[in-house]
Amino acid sequence: MKKEIRFGDFVREVVVHQQQISYNDLAPAVEINEHGEETIEATRRYKMRSVDLYRILKPYVNIRLMEQVKAVVPLALYLVLFQVLILRQGITDSWLISGGMISVIIGLMFFMEGLKVGLMPFGESIGTTLPAKSKLPVVMIIAFILGIGVTFAEPAIGALKAAGSIVDVNQAPYLYAMLNIYANTMVLMVGIGVGLAAVLGTLRFLYGWSLKPLVYLTLVPTIALTIYFQSIPELSTILGLAWDCGAVTTGPVTVPLVLSLGIGIAAAAGKGNSSLSGFGIVMLASLFPIIAVMLLALYVSSVISPAEIITIANNTVNDNAILPWYERTPGLEVVLGIRAIVPLVLFLIFVMVVVLREKINKKLDIAFGITLCVLGMIIFNVGLSYGLAKLGGQSGGLVPSAFTHIDVVLSSPLYTFATGFFVALLFAWFLGFGATLAEPALNALGMTVQNLTNGAFRKSMLMYAVSLGVGTGISLGVVKIVFNIPIAYLLVPGYLIAAILTYFSTEEFVNIAWDSAGVTTGPVTVPLVLAMGLGFGKAVGAVEGFGILSMASIGPIIFVLLTGLYIQWRIKRRHEIEDKEPEIEHEEGLPI
Amino acid sequence: MSKKEITILTDVSLVTCVVQRGKADDVVKAAQEVGAQGATVYYARGSGIRESLGILGLAIDVEKEAINILVANDQIDRIFEKMYLAGQLDTPGMGIMYVTPLEKAATYIPHEIVERLAKPVVGPAS
Repeated sequence: MKKEIRFGDFVREVVVHQQQISYNDLAPAVEINEHGEETIEATRRYKMRSVDLYRILKPYVNIRLMEQVKAVVPLALYLVLFQVLILRQGITDSWLISGGMISVIIGLMFFMEGLKVGLMPFGESIGTTLPAKSKLPVVMIIAFILGIGVTFAEPAIGALKAAGSIVDVNQAPYLYAMLNIYANTMVLMVGIGVGLAAVLGTLRFLYGWSLKPLVYLTLVPTIALTIYFQSIPELSTILGLAWDCGAVTTGPVTVPLVLSLGIGIAAAAGKGNSSLSGFGIVMLASLFPIIAVMLLALYVSSVISPAEIITIANNTVNDNAILPWYERTPGLEVVLGIRAIVPLVLFLIFVMVVVLREKINKKLDIAFGITLCVLGMIIFNVGLSYGLAKLGGQSGGLVPSAFTHIDVVLSSPLYTFATGFFVALLFAWFLGFGATLAEPALNALGMTVQNLTNGAFRKSMLMYAVSLGVGTGISLGVVKIVFNIPIAYLLVPGYLIAAILTYFSTEEFVNIAWDSAGVTTGPVTVPLVLAMGLGFGKAVGAVEGFGILSMASIGPIIFVLLTGLYIQWRIKRRHEIEDKEPEIEHEEGLPI
Repeated sequence: MSKKEITILTDVSLVTCVVQRGKADDVVKAAQEVGAQGATVYYARGSGIRESLGILGLAIDVEKEAINILVANDQIDRIFEKMYLAGQLDTPGMGIMYVTPLEKAATYIPHEIVERLAKPVVGPAS
């Protein structure tokens, strides 16, 4: 049967149908009210279909979710695969851990978005207007308090508190006291350290001080205190914790907020042009808290004796039977989340409204952002204890089964001591190397450094130098725990080498190297590595499992400084060759 | 009389499409698949629907990309349609597009095409 179709009909079918609406009908009509003023009828709220909601939110959520998935999933998979394939152990509580990981991802997503929408606008506007409106002392006080506030808001700081419950009070009474009885005081001391670093870093921007003397000046008391602590057996258990605190502070809240303030101040003083002005604060913020925590330990040791701590600890264990709602799981995390964010927000609002007399724009957006922040912190805290800390502790506790006997694993040691120990070191090394290479902050730092040095220090070179440093550092940390080497024996020579290298390096590379350590310790790596170290320490019967993070901080400093020196040497050699070249041409020219 | 010549294109329209930052490439690609030859993308900031959406507006980027594409009048409908679909402009906050008729345009035109197609302009110039 023959069929006929008019071409016009065909075209109409193939082409998308069109309808017309006149914009005259759509646009709000202008009316003239009784006073003769022109008013526009209020814009209507659109009724949204659910498909519209889905289409708006899907790309928005997708991008932000994938960012966190990329940070968490590879690391978790690595731990799980290592445990299953090399150690041949199943994952206990796998559902709980998976749930915890999902809540880490969702919590971080909420937190980061809330940070961007709710807190960063404050940081930026305070950074630009405060130095112009207030005198220097006021600015310094605000920078100081801000430093304390951001420390409490740092997600990874919860990991330190969580670690407290694992410490054995009889073996390391002062460490137990610091993490349990004085936990909040300790975070406050860390905050004061960060606050002082913010003040000093800002002054450095203003007066254009060189970083080298600052490095020496902060290293001398830090190392002196470390050596003193090492000489007293009771205090030496604190060292790992104190040095780890430095690594915890430089996270996703502190770095951008403190930096935006510092850069704003330097710009207002007309000295923001220096390309390196952003550097230095991170390094100070990771060294000052170490001193602060050690000072607190000194104070604690002067007011309370180990015997008293053990009595207190034993009493609290007995009281644990019925906890009030705010100390049990959902309630505890909610309280922690609110306590972390709200004081910082109140302080920022206070500065904006009372000190600067600025109006807060976009109140709705900011309220939404802050709610997201708090919500994200709560979800993250839940995930921290059930996902990251559990998984890290589990693999940390099982890895030693490769080379030594532990009760949980029946067939342990799985390999001979040498092979097994090598496997464990390799595991630690790849964990540090991979996690660091994947850190988005490192990528960003790499770009900045490549631009600053006009391409002499390539991005990939910095990323590999830092990752090698972290990998090596973490492996050394494992060695420390297995052989029970006092952390001071590793840290003091490490920082001395760094100081010597600093002396020979140019200002640029010093800035880059000392800041690169802070970039590597994100909110996922810190709890995971911390928990792993503690689990590891417990399995091999070490007194304390802290110190791995601090080794991961010194590693990249040395590696980046070395790379910097290599680049300096290469540039120098190239210049020498270039200087010689004309002579060579001359000689070639002679015979003719 | 000057020997220099200028060839003027007629029957051209300008399609302008404003989308959220990062979406322009998809829209340009869709337009090029159905015959658009070039596109200019520039950065802009926009407001309007973001405010009327309330809290949901936060999901919409304030920063926009504005795409300018010159199209032949015969192709307007096809390209317009493809760009609309590629940009998902039927979603609130995604963007807006419009067509402006142009009087004339001028650019480099390959020599043999000029010889084949150009007609002398009857007017005050000659």
